[in-house]
Amino acid sequence: MLLGNGMRVGLGATAALALGTCLATGALADETSNATLFGNMTAVSQDMLNRAGQDANNFLMTHGDYTQKRYFPNRQINTMNVRHLHPAWIFQTEVKETLETAPIIVNGVMYVTTAFDHVYALDARTGAEIWHYKQPLGPITVYCCGPNNRGVAVDGGMVYLATLDAKLVALDAKTGKVAWQSDIADPELGYSETMAPTAVDGKILIGTNGGEYGIRGFVKAFDAKTGKLLWTFNTIPENTVGEWATKDATGQDLHRDIAAEKAALAKLGDPFKKLGGGVWQNPSVDLANRRIYFVVGNPSPDLDGAPRPGDNLYTDSLVSVDLDTGKYVCHFQYIPHDVWDLDAVSATVLVDAKDQNGALVPAVLHAGKTGFVYVNDRKDCHLIRFSEAMVPQENMYALPTASPGTRMLPGANGGVEWSAMAVDPTLNLTYALNLHQPMHYSVKMADYPGGDKLWLGGAFTVIPEEEQWGNVTAVDYNTGKIRWQVKTPQPMIGGILATAGGLVFTGESNGFFKAYDSATGAELWRFQAGAGVNAPPSGYTVEGKEFIVVGAGGNAQVDSKRGNNIIAFTLD
Amino acid sequence: MPTWLFAIFALMAFIVPAHAEDIAEKATLCASCHGENGVPIDQTIPVIWGQNAGYLYVELRDFKRGARTDPIMSQMATGLSREDMMALAEYFSKKPWPNLGQKPADAATAERAQVIANSAQCSQCHLAGFLGASLVPRVSDQNHDYLLATLRAIRSGERGNNNWMTELMKAYSDQDMAALAAYLAGL
Repeated sequence: MLLGNGMRVGLGATAALALGTCLATGALADETSNATLFGNMTAVSQDMLNRAGQDANNFLMTHGDYTQKRYFPNRQINTMNVRHLHPAWIFQTEVKETLETAPIIVNGVMYVTTAFDHVYALDARTGAEIWHYKQPLGPITVYCCGPNNRGVAVDGGMVYLATLDAKLVALDAKTGKVAWQSDIADPELGYSETMAPTAVDGKILIGTNGGEYGIRGFVKAFDAKTGKLLWTFNTIPENTVGEWATKDATGQDLHRDIAAEKAALAKLGDPFKKLGGGVWQNPSVDLANRRIYFVVGNPSPDLDGAPRPGDNLYTDSLVSVDLDTGKYVCHFQYIPHDVWDLDAVSATVLVDAKDQNGALVPAVLHAGKTGFVYVNDRKDCHLIRFSEAMVPQENMYALPTASPGTRMLPGANGGVEWSAMAVDPTLNLTYALNLHQPMHYSVKMADYPGGDKLWLGGAFTVIPEEEQWGNVTAVDYNTGKIRWQVKTPQPMIGGILATAGGLVFTGESNGFFKAYDSATGAELWRFQAGAGVNAPPSGYTVEGKEFIVVGAGGNAQVDSKRGNNIIAFTLD
Repeated sequence: MPTWLFAIFALMAFIVPAHAEDIAEKATLCASCHGENGVPIDQTIPVIWGQNAGYLYVELRDFKRGARTDPIMSQMATGLSREDMMALAEYFSKKPWPNLGQKPADAATAERAQVIANSAQCSQCHLAGFLGASLVPRVSDQNHDYLLATLRAIRSGERGNNNWMTELMKAYSDQDMAALAAYLAGL
């Protein structure tokens, strides 16, 4: 086992001491960890995946479990002792660029990814490197919002990576060697991957980026053992017109010129072939009903609605499909005919929530760039409620104009961007990270430029004179009311973790990684990581000791300070 | 027409589809303007040594298609196949970025440039240090005069092979662009 760049450090430890400790722990390298609750400890079983939400030792999926609550059930680190939390080790990756990885931990082995599709396997106790895989990217890769990667999926003895050049790669979990590689789509047509795959019942599920490049979006399922394509669900159906809706999900007027759109439809036909509709985040999986739930991103071109008349189904929508066949089940569109890039990006979360009659029903949550948390019924996707606005909404749905454009809040990054929410089901609270970034939206007609160039139909610019900030917001999903809110000095992007210790952990662009009381929002602990903490934290336990781990590498989208650190924290 | 320009046009006649073994030979023609050691012969010409391969390929392709025009480059790209363009792009991307000796911008200029860069969200594509990757060009330490001319040409639409950038640049004044060019050139 290589020690690599991993260093175990204590508070105030010198580099020499750190090295000494590292060497001392090297003796443990070959010991077997007995820390798992489920499975055979050599591979990830479907049983382990099914029960990941109750597994206080491993962190098996990007968002914790198939419900995507990001709720870690260990309470060893809690409100009473979190002030003593300190770094256990810091691992420095080879890549100092935007870092969005959600660490995955299996039986004491951690898998993290970096920008440009590197994967590292680390000893979760020490941070020592076990193996390092670097995807050889082709010359043509598109990335609208940074060359990000949000992590891997694990299943059996494999680790699965989706790449910027739109490939799905299966790696041997023990060695990092490539077992198979499949093409997901053609990168020269604007397809790329930044999301982590989801592994379920022998399938690897994956969406696609490309809503800024005139793609036709999809979710695909591949065979986990062979890489063979099993099914494809096109997020853009062949009839995208819909109901000519004039209002968004919350009843606000979208200012559409329906007559002009109908005339355009008669002239241009249905725009489905290049209508966008990327899927940026993992689907949640309802195992009982064999359904998956995901949200679909913006239409192409983002800001110019003229070439794409109609509601532009299923862009900006919640969609459910059958897990086994990929067949459509239901959908709900948050914003028909979006011309602001206020699309649906953040991962869905499955909870049991009260419906309009107060009865608990299987529900699905999504936090929008609009600044609302939406609560939908899983049965037919209908909207149960939406939350109070988490950020200022001004001049909402004013149509973009010629440069310099129209001022509107929220800006095109949100509200809530791709940042994953966390849920504490004991409190009925969901935690969302928001941006406040006032923007000008301008529109300019442009022909499809080919798949390797941005096709936005205009521009959005942050207004330099206006203040930007962010917040962490706790929303009661049974009422839609904001329970607590903490303002942060910079727009928030990354992710959040809730734990049974009564805590939520999240990081900021200024380098602070913080723990809050999940019931009240009281800040209980902070650590300065030296670079933007813009990645979702994970929790795990090895040899009876709980750890919280997070990436601190900054972010391209909000241009926070770059770094290359994976930092694991624990108590003495 | 300057003599060197005439020489380049004369040399163009010799461009034939490239093979791996003669890419280096073909690249000598590029050196006439872009420099034998990677330092272009004047400040209006971009550095291509160490530039990102995807970007170099797409620009050559766009010159050939007419999506981007330039009296020399449009002619130069005419006879190139996709394989030629990919090979040339790969060849130059592997060269080291040259030292142009450009001075850092003063503090006030740098501050103004950073405000604009934040507003335009340059980092989303051009990344930390403005180094870009794949299809997105490195713009840090690029030739100052080329940067300034390019920003203006993009804004006016004269360089029209990226309509998103044209729309984005409309939000910024001549003074903003002067600050950006000075800042980027000095990084």
